[in-house]
Amino acid sequence: MDTLQTLTVGFIAIVVVKNLVFTKFLGICPYLGVSGRIDMAFGMGLAVTFVITLSGTMTWLIDHLLLIGTPLEVTRYVCFILVVAGAVQLVEMYLRKFFPSLYESFGIFLPLITTNCAILGLCLFLNLWRVNSLLEAVVLSFGAGIGFTMAICVMAGIRENLKLADVPACLKGAPITLITAGILAMAFMGFSGMIR
Amino acid sequence: MILADVLDLWSSAWPAGVMMLSLGGGFALVLLFASEKLRVEVDPKVEQIHRALPNLDCGACGFAGCAQYAKAVLADPELLGGCAPGGAATSAVIAGVLSLQVSDSGPARKPIVHCSAHTGDKTLYARYEGIQSCTAANALANVQACKFGCLGFGDCVRACRFGALSKPDGLATVDYDKCTGCTACSKACPRNLIEMVPFKHDRMMTVACRSIETPKVTRSMCKVGCIGCGLCAKQSELFSVAENLARLDYRRYEPSEQTEAAMSKCPTKVIVWRGPGAVEPARSGDERVVESGGAEDG
Repeated sequence: MDTLQTLTVGFIAIVVVKNLVFTKFLGICPYLGVSGRIDMAFGMGLAVTFVITLSGTMTWLIDHLLLIGTPLEVTRYVCFILVVAGAVQLVEMYLRKFFPSLYESFGIFLPLITTNCAILGLCLFLNLWRVNSLLEAVVLSFGAGIGFTMAICVMAGIRENLKLADVPACLKGAPITLITAGILAMAFMGFSGMIR
Repeated sequence: MILADVLDLWSSAWPAGVMMLSLGGGFALVLLFASEKLRVEVDPKVEQIHRALPNLDCGACGFAGCAQYAKAVLADPELLGGCAPGGAATSAVIAGVLSLQVSDSGPARKPIVHCSAHTGDKTLYARYEGIQSCTAANALANVQACKFGCLGFGDCVRACRFGALSKPDGLATVDYDKCTGCTACSKACPRNLIEMVPFKHDRMMTVACRSIETPKVTRSMCKVGCIGCGLCAKQSELFSVAENLARLDYRRYEPSEQTEAAMSKCPTKVIVWRGPGAVEPARSGDERVVESGGAEDG
């Protein structure tokens, strides 16, 4: 029962309170780049969720089985990058095989998940937050992916409506998008302190 | 001393190297396995067609790029021959892949600009200082006296992805060595001055005018406009005159004494050579209308 409570609270925390996009400002590149249409944003979110869960779990395992307590801890970053890159390659092959249309519509953004800092950030946060059980690491990784999906879908929904809005000429395009992202982030900061 | 340091560094570094190697090796194995399991079979015919295409992604065929056209032409062989830059050679290769017979589509089509008025030849009522584009300028009735001639703001120059068009002295001019025949310029011209003509010869005789105004009006506004006098049609039956404008049948055109005579008899010298083999006569700048100088830049 205690574990369940920890997991639930951890999940809600990483989705809403400690959302990587809104509170840590990680993964901004795809967050702004692919949030033009809601269906593509959702697909991107799912791809990131898959990669983040896979790489979060694997990096936790590598960290705990190989690195912690040995001098090899300094190679953590490099190892994690290796894991993330490998996982992205796997997702790319999988999508190309089973969802070719999604694969085409992602274009360059799919390989760019490799450089999505939300993923590497989460892997490093798992170490920083001293997550001690594999189950918790998996749940937190999955939650981070869900949080990213939620953020990018909220943004895509707003941007689809923004297309119809009467935006002043000087703010059209990137400026209004960045302002929207800022206001969204501020709104989500209202959750901070809800879960410690 | 230094040796000891290096040995010390080595002894502490090698476990990291070994671990990175083994991790990398492990991932390589997993990915190798996955690439075998998740291999996507690409139709080898699509690859063959794609290799035969010029890979310019110019869009003349109506598709986003050469890869899309390769897929489409395999699904629908009627699209064969859509590749303008590749021309007959590419069509023949694609037809070979699709095991089809390709009929001779004639010589490659290249653009010809049907205007020969440089800045000094045109009459301008006023100086246009609006948006520097032909499409915008064309919306204005009095942007220049001739309603048919080249505006010289370079929509075609911007449309050309291969740098084959320029507008020296206010007239769109094709560099046939760079031209791939992709038809982008002829689509860009708001006055439809650029026609895709089958180039049977190195240089093509051209009536470089589109004006259908009466001779008097044409004379008053352009020094080199066709006045529809019909002298060329008297010399060669390839020329025809209608609506005060001489036209040449490019499909039937063959160089002959008659066409040469028509060219030399033309009172306004509007029948000119166009093509890679044609040398434009050097133009002197002394005829330039001072008022119109600024409108041509941009």
